[in-house]
Amino acid sequence: MAKATVAAGRVLSQRAKLNTQREYESVTILRPETARSEIADLITRMREVISGRGARLTKIDSWGMRVLAFPIAHLRKGIYLYWRYHGGSDIVAEFERHMRLHDKVIRFYTVLIDEDVDPEARPGEVTDDLLDAATDPGPDPDELARQAAAEEAARQAEYEANRRQREEEEGEAEFNANQEDDNR
Amino acid sequence: MRDGDRDFKDRGDRGDRGDRGDREGRMRRRFNVGDTKELVIDYKNPQMLKNFLTDRGKIVPARISGLTARQQRQLTQAIKRARMLALLPFTSG
Repeated sequence: MAKATVAAGRVLSQRAKLNTQREYESVTILRPETARSEIADLITRMREVISGRGARLTKIDSWGMRVLAFPIAHLRKGIYLYWRYHGGSDIVAEFERHMRLHDKVIRFYTVLIDEDVDPEARPGEVTDDLLDAATDPGPDPDELARQAAAEEAARQAEYEANRRQREEEEGEAEFNANQEDDNR
Repeated sequence: MRDGDRDFKDRGDRGDRGDRGDREGRMRRRFNVGDTKELVIDYKNPQMLKNFLTDRGKIVPARISGLTARQQRQLTQAIKRARMLALLPFTSG
């Protein structure tokens, strides 16, 4: 890995000379048992790391808890966090270094969105509301699936009961009709 | 030949198909995913990308998907990114 730390005042990247930056987005997957306060801690810490290097976090979003397509670190589920920021070329290395060190992070992936971005022209500031929303791990997908299954079962049972009742009524009506026929 | 791939992989005996001119027309667009002209390809949208995977999780070739070469390049990139994030499987079935 390139040495990210450069003495203050030195040019961190060629783009810094042009006063442009690169825009990146990262997705991190956290362990499913991560508490809300821990997520908030991680975000505030990363925000400091990012802003400490002349970069800016423009968006933070929680995708909630999802079932992984395949197990990672023997886990079936994970909490997804989406970050968007722009900065110099050293910011990704630093971001990923922190992710690697964090023991709740099981996967991270960074994508370059745009080059030669004028940092002033990119709106978006992370407000406390957004921050708060991003810490929400959301409902457990297994729990949702269980609920849906339970509702489906209840619906099925109700339908079944209705059908049986209807059949009984029809049977009775038929029986009565037959009786009348017999009486005649 | 495994089940999920059969529909386009198993083309049977192509031996004496003298006229290769009509191949293009016949092979293309066998994979129906609706209008692909203004398809937005993004690795963050696994539901959309799933349309371009076989049941076994393989990427459907452009020949079948009917995408332009450019779209297909974007698509493979997006699928590979989504796989890194466990949004899509590397293999399944």
